[in-house]
Amino acid sequence: MKRFCSLLVFAVIIPFIVFCPAAAAPAKAPSEYKVVMIVKQSDPWFDDMTLGIEKLKSEMGINAYVLTPESGDPALQIAIMEDLISQGVNAICIVPNDPQAILPTVKKARDAGIIVVTHEAPGIASEVNLDVEAFVNAEFGALMGDAVGKAAEGKGEYAGFVGGLTMDTHMEWYKAAVAAIKQKYPDMVNVSEEPFEDKNSIEVAYDKTVELLKAYPNLKAIFDCSAHGSGVAQAVKDKGRGDIKVVSLAIPSMSASYIKDGSMVHGQAWRPADAGYATCYAAYLLASGTAVSTGANLKATGYENIKVEGNIAYGYAPLVFTAENIDDFHF
Amino acid sequence: MRDLMGDLTGRIRHRRVNATEGILAGIILLYCVMVAAVNPAFLSVETLFDIVRSSSTAVIVGMGLLLVMLSGGIDVSFMSIALFGSYVAAYAMIRLKIDSLAFAFAVSIGLGTILGLVNALLVNWLNLPPFIVTLGTQNLFHGVMTTFISDKTFGAGVIPSALSKFGSATLFTLKTRQGVMGLTAAVIPMSIAVLLTWFIVSHTLVGRGVVAMGNSPESARRAGFNLLKLRLFAYGYIGALSAVMGVVYISQVNAVYPNKLVGSELMIIAGAVIGGVKDTGGRGKVLGVILGITIIYLLNSTLIFLGLSSSWNNFFVGTLLVASVGVTSWQNRRKNRKNLLFTE
Repeated sequence: MKRFCSLLVFAVIIPFIVFCPAAAAPAKAPSEYKVVMIVKQSDPWFDDMTLGIEKLKSEMGINAYVLTPESGDPALQIAIMEDLISQGVNAICIVPNDPQAILPTVKKARDAGIIVVTHEAPGIASEVNLDVEAFVNAEFGALMGDAVGKAAEGKGEYAGFVGGLTMDTHMEWYKAAVAAIKQKYPDMVNVSEEPFEDKNSIEVAYDKTVELLKAYPNLKAIFDCSAHGSGVAQAVKDKGRGDIKVVSLAIPSMSASYIKDGSMVHGQAWRPADAGYATCYAAYLLASGTAVSTGANLKATGYENIKVEGNIAYGYAPLVFTAENIDDFHF
Repeated sequence: MRDLMGDLTGRIRHRRVNATEGILAGIILLYCVMVAAVNPAFLSVETLFDIVRSSSTAVIVGMGLLLVMLSGGIDVSFMSIALFGSYVAAYAMIRLKIDSLAFAFAVSIGLGTILGLVNALLVNWLNLPPFIVTLGTQNLFHGVMTTFISDKTFGAGVIPSALSKFGSATLFTLKTRQGVMGLTAAVIPMSIAVLLTWFIVSHTLVGRGVVAMGNSPESARRAGFNLLKLRLFAYGYIGALSAVMGVVYISQVNAVYPNKLVGSELMIIAGAVIGGVKDTGGRGKVLGVILGITIIYLLNSTLIFLGLSSSWNNFFVGTLLVASVGVTSWQNRRKNRKNLLFTE
């Protein structure tokens, strides 16, 4: 009986194994590719990313969709990945909460023949098929530095914030910004070698700014590499120090009013919708057997001519907000 | 009966500033002199105003914590309550287009009190340590909010203008060389919380009951106090004050996040303990809590004046905190020895 059963199972399975590759040989239509993006959680940032993937689906016809964990818990992302592996999708895209934590699951997926593409996880790029980044961090930081120099007219003291000294991307932006200022605006003086920490909190950014204004009364500009520069802008506004220029990483939903009233002269970020579009499109290309190399066009704004280095695809997609354009974005 | 009551509540009757508060004031003074010596810009009325603004939220909720700790309990869910109350109030205001500060406070305080009462009932019925119960409700309240109400973030410009105006409002302003300075309007709810707590603890029967329960629940019960009612009062009170604090916080930050506040309870509990509030209940003073919280905020907001780079922050703040706790505990022991008490 046992033998009969296993024979039966084989009888059912073998035709699949034999005939499937034959059936797949003619080029598949884009709609036959299942590309799934796992975001971190539901918030304005990832809601906008979802829009990008919906656009990809309607423009390219790829069967792409987004799965959103209930919270920012890395374990939830892993559970969703496991689920997708057993469903046998063609590609998994993920913005990992904890890149190191997903590595075993990434291996499992790749062993099952699934393409894995990450976004915002350059640290594990060698373990996945591709990591897509909006820009080279140094270029993004230099853009911020230029804005500081321009706003302060190249003169006077300035100070910089990061979320925390251990946050690698913030530190890369900070260093690049300081280097850019030193090179292009040599008359400007950084009041501290090390950046100040706003602990990713508007409250701390506010309190530290208030203290900075007293300790360094001649300050001309402050920049913040975390998206909590609205605390800096609020403090400058409350203290009536409109002469101090604030430059920050910005999210429209948090900083719009400060950019409109001028208390934040320059806000920059990147568009989650475009990043999601480019990441999923790259995953589709890889799944369909097309290599993604330098010069490839990922069809999203800022990713038309990417640069691939060490398994990381860099676009150049910084987004600079102005009082006129900020209302066009909803993230 | 009278004698017993007097004994149970006696410690709180001394109006005289005791050793702990004296030492804390000394540490604060010494530290200020040191900072001023390094950087004279520290010595200004503006610095005082700024510290009042940044510590106002902690002082408000610290007053509620005092009462709970006096009762022999602890509450680690107060930030969750603060977030719940203020978030729901702001959310309702945005959805219903109500732009009123009174509405925000009313809704928030109502919800905060209810959640505080839930804590009290659970502590009373489950008969578990309040720490475990409130650790559970901390997650529960936060979870209920993000799952059933909303988990969206509302930024500047979206949050009702009554709130953002209150956050930046000052009682009076002065123009100085460095810009405008003013005393934050948050000093009003803060003063009310401080005076009310002081009055409750030292001038009302329920306040004395709370202290009595903290010293010895059994004796308090035999003296005729209803422990459930006392718990309902203490936890309801911290719930209400947390809710007030939540509204002040979102006004000052000028944004509503579904995930901030929760997780920063320990700093305030640390402030209370440094201020001489006993974690086993029955002892603690309003002034002590204020001084304890002041020390923490003072340390955190003077590092730039001292010219310390960010990587020194934790080390420096940690060292000074341990030192000030050490000094106060040493002083207490000396005092106890003097009174022939060898309990610690």
